[in-house]
Order: sequence, then C-alpha cells, then structure tokens
Amino acid sequence: MDTSQSTEGGQPLNPIPRIQYHAPITLAGALQLLEELDKAKPIIGGTDLLIAMRQAACTPSHLVDLNRIPELNYITEEEGYIKIGATVTHSQAASNPLIKGVPALYDAVSRIGSPQIRNRGTITGNIVNASPAADTACPLIVHDAEIVIKSNDDTNIIPVEDLFEGPKINCLEPSELITEIRIPTPAENSTSAYKRIGRRQAFTLSVVSAAAYLQVEENTCVEAGFAFGSVAMTPLRVPEVEEMLKGKELTEENIKEASEAVREYVQPITDVRGTAEYRKDMCPVLMRRAINESLGRMR
Amino acid sequence: MPSFDAACDKREPWEDEVNTMKISFELNGKEIEAETTAYTSLLDMLRDELDVKSVKKGCESGECGACTVLVDGLPMTSCIILAPQVEGRHITTIEGLEHNPLMIDLRQSFIENGAIQCGFCTPGMLISSYALLRDNPHPTPEEVKIGIEGNICRCTGFTKIIEAVLDAAERIAPE
Repeated sequence: MDTSQSTEGGQPLNPIPRIQYHAPITLAGALQLLEELDKAKPIIGGTDLLIAMRQAACTPSHLVDLNRIPELNYITEEEGYIKIGATVTHSQAASNPLIKGVPALYDAVSRIGSPQIRNRGTITGNIVNASPAADTACPLIVHDAEIVIKSNDDTNIIPVEDLFEGPKINCLEPSELITEIRIPTPAENSTSAYKRIGRRQAFTLSVVSAAAYLQVEENTCVEAGFAFGSVAMTPLRVPEVEEMLKGKELTEENIKEASEAVREYVQPITDVRGTAEYRKDMCPVLMRRAINESLGRMR
Repeated sequence: MPSFDAACDKREPWEDEVNTMKISFELNGKEIEAETTAYTSLLDMLRDELDVKSVKKGCESGECGACTVLVDGLPMTSCIILAPQVEGRHITTIEGLEHNPLMIDLRQSFIENGAIQCGFCTPGMLISSYALLRDNPHPTPEEVKIGIEGNICRCTGFTKIIEAVLDAAERIAPE
C-alpha cells in the first residue's frame, strides 16, 4: 500500500462520494468506458483511492472496477520479461516464485502495509498514485521495469520512473490504463534488496527507503542500480552513483564512498515523518544496508 | 474547497432510490441478496443493512483492522471495499466461524490469556489470527506479529494477544 493517503495527516473523512460503479469483464470494455465516461477512474484494490475520495483529494464521478477482468490477473515469464498483470495483489506477488527472483520487489510486496492491505492492494495501484514514498517504486526502478499503458486506440511502453511526474502526479491521461508491469528477467549474477525506515513496520509510509540492484562478476560490480524513496518529488534513481560503483571491486571502502556520494543528489524535505537532515543522513546508511543484503543473497 | 456536497450524503445511502442496486453474495455460507448503493462500503452494508455487528467501525481507512473480514478466505478491511465489489464473493465474519474448531480454540485461548479488554479489536484480531493459523499452524512469535500487524489494540497491548495466538496454535496442533 502507498499509505500516503492515510489519515496520518489527520484529514477528516467524508462519506464516500456518490459515484457510479462499473465492472467490465474485458479489457476492451474497460478502455471503452474510460474513453466514454466523464471523470472516470479505474479502481482495483481501492486501498488508497477510496481514502483519497473520502478526503476529496480525488473526485471521480465513475469508478471502473478492473477486478472482474480475468485477462489482467497473471504473473508470467516470457520474451525475457517477468510480466505482472494490473490486478495482481501484493499477496499474489509475494507468493509467486517468479517474484522471488526479483528480490527487491519481493522485499517490498511481502511487507508493504499489513496482511489485509497486501490481500487487497496491487503493485499497479501502488505506483499509479505516484507517491514518492511508494514502496514498490524503487525496486521496480532499479530492476529497469517498464509499464504497458493502454488506451482505446494506443499502446505505450515506458520505464516505471517516467510514470512519476511529481508528488501524486502521474503521466497518465484519464483514458489510459496501466495493464502490465514488466521486469527484465534478472541476470544469473544479479541480486537486489529493498530497505526502508518507517516509524513502525506496519502501515506507515517510509520515512526514507532505498533499493539496490547489483550485477557482480568475481566481486566486481558490472551493473548497478540505486533508487531512493521519500527524498525528492518522485522516487529518485541516482545514475551518477551507479556509475561510481560500476567496474569497481565491491570492497567496504568503495561501497562507503559511493553511498556517501548519494547525499549530493537527494533533496528531501522536512515533514511530519522526518526532517530533511535525517533523511539525507539515512540515505547512505540504507544504501549500504541494501547493498549488503543484496550481496548476502548471492552467497 | 473541492466540490463535495457532504450535506446530500447525510441521508442513509440505501434510502436513495435513484442509485440503489442489488448485489448477491455469500455471507457466512448463506446466499444473500442485499440492496445497497455503489458508494456504500462493505463495512456499512454489513453493519447497517445486514445487521452483522461484530464487524467494527474504527478508522475507516484500512489501518486499524477492526472491520477485518474474510473475502474469499483472505483477511481484508471491509471499510475500504465498495459493496458492489463483493458481488459473487464469499464473505466470512466471526459469526460464520462460530462452530469452527480452530475458531473455538482461538476464542478460548483469547479468554484464558487475557487477550481481551474492551473487545473492540477482538473480532478483527480473531479473523486475522484465524487466517494466520489456518495457513501456518506453527507460527513463530515473529510470524504472529506479522499476521496481526494490520490490527490495532489500544487496551491490552499486544503481548497477551500474541501469547493467546501461540497458545491456540499449541492447542490445535501440538508439536
């Protein structure tokens, strides 16, 4: 769950606004509805959307429920990708062997929210809210994941990080739908991990989080991916730091040097969950933890 | 202010004839048909229309777990599910598990371990604990904590509840 819509900020809850509900059973039907209806919004788990609606942060007139569309619920591996359908819940992902092969994503989906939220909420829903704290965003970004966006007459595939345009702002048009998340099948010599700091484990938004992806050959880093949550307007990938570590031996010293450099690229803010200074200080710490956890998984 | 007319929603939702809808689903093993609206939560439908009062209304934002029910066997918070979303699904509350052997042991264990004080969180706690023990009969204390992390108790603290779940596991399937 992206709990960014939670009542943590103490916003009062209104009754659920008077929407009209549609439950198409085909993807084509859903796309048609999104095209035709005025102020329509797709809903899957609704774990964030319903709360946003009750806080009047989001005011659709129609909800198009995607849960009745069988063709959107799958996890498969083909064409060099692990493909995740739009309605796959965190629980479904966490119990799927293919997702175990994407360790950072597994870390996120297996501990996001609570059992109730994991059974209801989806990865698609988590990223589409475009919260900089979305737990599944950083793992997907470091694994170079892409999303398939469909509308009535068009299909686009873009990197996950391009979905995020600003806090709570995604790049989708109202008639567009994310139908699939696809992750390049991780290389044999790759590993990853996701680490977060929250006020407590369950529910809370991360104060700061980090995902690391590494490809290692004889203890030399040949490929690296690092992304941080809650430190900028969007989940933040840091290519400069990735380059610092590429081609280098993964010694404690090199890891420390690269992780300390992260401070230059993050621009966290101070809010109720933590101060900017604290967040900045925690980035290198979490990056080292994520790297060490990743490397531990290779042994 | 966003355009939201709270005043018009003060009526009970199911009194609105224009937007009522009929949905059918299975509640505690019985096929039922309910008249509701698209903007009624499963929680409100259960409590106000179907008189299932064990399902408690707490935070209404999916965080406290007091309204937890099983949807097709999986614990979910009914406050953030729309009534029409459960069309054709199987909903189970503690009423439906009254004579279930696992639930009987869990309940007794909660009583004997002092895991209940005001009782408000208890139905949700029991549903989450039930789902946990059903899927994992021998949980570690850490697994129990994860199993009930979506349920908040403000009276007893969690120690006695965790002890009760571990104790119930011991009764049901002694190692």
